[in-house]
Amino acid sequence: MLTREQISDGLKRARYVTNERVETAIFLALALEKPLLIEGPAGAGKTEVAKVLAEMLHTELIRLQCYEGLDEARALYEWNYQKQLLRMQAGEQQGLRWEDLSEHIFSRDYLLERPLLKAITAPSRVVLLIDEIDKADEEFEAFLLELLSDFQISVPELGTLKAHERPVVILTSNRARELSEALRRRCLHLFIDFPGIEQERKIIELKVPELDAKLAAEAARFVSAIRKLGLRKPPSIAETLDWARALVRLRVRELDTDAVRTALGVLLKHEEDRVKVESKASALAPRRR
Amino acid sequence: MAALRDQLVRFIAALRADGVRISVAESIDAMNAVAAVGLERARMHEALAAALIKDEADRAIFDESFNRFFAAPRANRGEHPDQRGEQVSAASGRGRPGEQPSPRDAALASPRDEKSLSLPSEAKPAKKAAAARRQDTEKGKDAEQGKDAERLSDRMRGRQERGEAQTREESPTPGIDATRVARIRAIERTAFDKFSDLDYDEARDALAPLIRRFRIRLGRRLRLARTGRLDFRRTIRAALQRGGALIDLNFRARRPRHVDLVILADISGSVRYAAQLMLELMAGARGCFRRVSSFVYVDHLAEADFEDGHLVMTPALDLYARSDFGRVLGELWERRTGLLTRGAIVVIMGDGRNNRLPARADLVREIVRACRAVVWLNPEDPARWGTGDSAIKQYAREVNAIVPSRNLRELQVALAAIA
Repeated sequence: MLTREQISDGLKRARYVTNERVETAIFLALALEKPLLIEGPAGAGKTEVAKVLAEMLHTELIRLQCYEGLDEARALYEWNYQKQLLRMQAGEQQGLRWEDLSEHIFSRDYLLERPLLKAITAPSRVVLLIDEIDKADEEFEAFLLELLSDFQISVPELGTLKAHERPVVILTSNRARELSEALRRRCLHLFIDFPGIEQERKIIELKVPELDAKLAAEAARFVSAIRKLGLRKPPSIAETLDWARALVRLRVRELDTDAVRTALGVLLKHEEDRVKVESKASALAPRRR
Repeated sequence: MAALRDQLVRFIAALRADGVRISVAESIDAMNAVAAVGLERARMHEALAAALIKDEADRAIFDESFNRFFAAPRANRGEHPDQRGEQVSAASGRGRPGEQPSPRDAALASPRDEKSLSLPSEAKPAKKAAAARRQDTEKGKDAEQGKDAERLSDRMRGRQERGEAQTREESPTPGIDATRVARIRAIERTAFDKFSDLDYDEARDALAPLIRRFRIRLGRRLRLARTGRLDFRRTIRAALQRGGALIDLNFRARRPRHVDLVILADISGSVRYAAQLMLELMAGARGCFRRVSSFVYVDHLAEADFEDGHLVMTPALDLYARSDFGRVLGELWERRTGLLTRGAIVVIMGDGRNNRLPARADLVREIVRACRAVVWLNPEDPARWGTGDSAIKQYAREVNAIVPSRNLRELQVALAAIA
């Protein structure tokens, strides 16, 4: 069992800049063995938590990407229909009776394991990331409830499969729709917002060490300022980092109006956003000519 | 330990009184969470938040209550902070809350009792305040029974303001997302008849994500049975190539549903907000139907369309005329060819207040017979249906369903059920 401080260290070692809130939530998810539901704007580092966690625990990350129309066959298991048929035909030629055959073809060998089943049957503790649960249908969400409260899955032909080691479950949501109360109740909750200026500066310095420290601070301030403009898509942390790398490549020494304009495409992905920021670039650029 | 547990129970009760939904399971989680992280204030704060607050919109209330209940220990009560943390975690690390403290815990706890049980003891005045406040709300409840929705919306608004203030104080980057969500939730629950122009504007702003959500919801229904019934002919054909073994299964593709939607919305003063929001919501989900014809009416019928988010009607209507639904029904009936067909669902939005003019419920009966279904959405409180000049009871006898839709949330549910 990890202590609160070990988590803090582990996250630092995995190069994930974080705060008290995130650390406590992760610690509790591990200590209480409860799923952790992470919400927040796109690109604030929700998925990254799961990746870092897997790295920290030295274990496998099993990822289930949710989308509209995701069903049990894709998420949980599916019988390998083709293989079963071939087996039946082969059995026919050997003259096997149906009883022998049916026992055989509904065994684990003929089961295609999908992420959820894989996480449950894994011999050691794994990290299960259920990404963008809000994109999945409500029916699927309801189906997840059994898994999240008891960590067990019922396969009619095989019976109930229970996890040897409870996986660490991380769910992320972008709020494309409201999640049900039942699901929320079963999870711990963590809201990750865009980092503050200071935190973002740390992230830039950690991930793009080539960038001048002073410039990194200015970049962080600039990104934080344009996020407040009410853009169609505010820049994510990953985009900030790309931008920082671009600044290095462009050999920018000072973040003035021109420098801001040249590499704006890395940061903003909508034309109207770019126009909006450019019109205000002179006011936003940390240093004016 | 028991004192802390009681304090936590009271804390949770106070949160519930403030409208945060907390289940019993979650309160148990909260106890376990505190047992796991110890009593260091900032950690306990985050731990309780993770266990209790499942919606960032509730976070502001939580922070406020937490500060009230677990006041920060006065900077130096003559003890070193590290030392204190150690003592506490040593005691709390053992056992779960609710177990009898072991002798060692008791020994550790006893010298602590007077000086460092600061958490519960300091919170006492706050407790009183909370109790007083609860009494207030209790008293208020009786008085305001009828204004339920209003109070809710007020509280939501208050909550949101508080939320904004809180985030401004605490973090350099305000939680844009959270306050926005709180606002959407508030406006969704505000009753249409309590709407002001300002509320309407706010609802319009909130509509974009709602339209998206609504469209997804409708789209999903239509796509649900993608792998529906087995297509025998294609499966057998495919099997022929494999010597007759049914290796590949082919499914019948789901035929798109052919639903024509005829919307009829009253835009006279009494229900205009509801009608306009509904029209806009449906305009966003246009793609889910084969054909959507929208009409608005006051005393006449006019075709409605949306251009750049503005309602355009041809011909223009006098918004201040006396509504006359009977005449409107007549006009609709005259245009029935190609409009009121077996595949059409007619959605009528209005309060059925007809200024005591002829109701023409017989025409509604004819329309029901001609179309697949007629659904009436009434933005008025069901308690007031049929009072005064309301002819809704007469119409209610004829239509297939009549659904109250007093706020955006109810409206969405009703519309989704229709589609």
